[in-house]
Amino acid sequence: MPPSQDPLYAGLGQAVRIGTDLVAALIVGGGLGWVCDTYLFDSTPWGMVGGLVLGVVAGIRNAYRSAQRWPKT
Amino acid sequence: MEESPLHPFELHDWIPISLGGLDISINKAVVMMWVVVSLVTVLMVMAGSARKLVPGKLQSLAEMMVDFIRSMIMDTMGKEGMRFFPLIATLFLFILFCNLIGMIPGSYTVTSQIIVTAVFSFLVYGLSLVMGFLLHGVKYLGVLVPPGTPGWLVPLMIPIEIMSQVARPISLAVRLFANMTAGHVLLGVLFGMAISGGLLIGWLPFAFTIAINGLEVGIAFIQAYIFTMLTCVYLGDAFHLHGDDGHAH
Repeated sequence: MPPSQDPLYAGLGQAVRIGTDLVAALIVGGGLGWVCDTYLFDSTPWGMVGGLVLGVVAGIRNAYRSAQRWPKT
Repeated sequence: MEESPLHPFELHDWIPISLGGLDISINKAVVMMWVVVSLVTVLMVMAGSARKLVPGKLQSLAEMMVDFIRSMIMDTMGKEGMRFFPLIATLFLFILFCNLIGMIPGSYTVTSQIIVTAVFSFLVYGLSLVMGFLLHGVKYLGVLVPPGTPGWLVPLMIPIEIMSQVARPISLAVRLFANMTAGHVLLGVLFGMAISGGLLIGWLPFAFTIAINGLEVGIAFIQAYIFTMLTCVYLGDAFHLHGDDGHAH
């Protein structure tokens, strides 16, 4: 069993987390922008451009937020 | 001889069943899920039936696991999070055993199907939304505006926060699915190289196969741990409005 307070596991957990956090927000942003473009407003390509920019910001914010939660050792 | 490394992930119906247009066929993944569920149940019931003061091997293993899950809940959610203990322990044990049983050659890793991980993550996220709105009412929408935001930034922060909220279940689902799939593809490719390389050079990828197998067992633990830890974090966010930024505020 993984020891709950083992710093190796905690550190690996954090490391694995941040990569996907960044990418997932980017995918969501691009996807929402694309949906706006094709189905809602017919504004190609500006919805996707704006969505990707917002997605990058949201991803970095997520990563920053989970980094703030790091245990201080 | 040549085979796609994604071939082991394909599912074929063993017993095709259709219930009113709904496809509930039995395939390898379904059977593996049954195996996992019955294994976890039997192990935990056996471990819990003895209840000795000085625990035996199985009982101390189960006590360690329960203690581990409890400390995870206490760290992220506090005492009121203990009412989610059954849900979180079930998720942890199911995912852990799925990952570990998938390491046995010839079996199937249920968590390498994105639909399985997506169901879990959307269930968890939906539960956190329901909990948040039940506890805080409309005020729960306040998560979209983090504390300390200047007024002129609010129109920009709301779309960003919506995206980072929507990204949560997706990253939860994709992380587990991608890690399990990638690990098994890597093992398959390396082992294929070992077989086609012959004795002269084949020992090198074979050694890597063994090393990465060990790494994969570690990843099986870590991914189960992360999935449940993030479950606790997301459910805890529903309890503590704006607790997300830690002790900063």
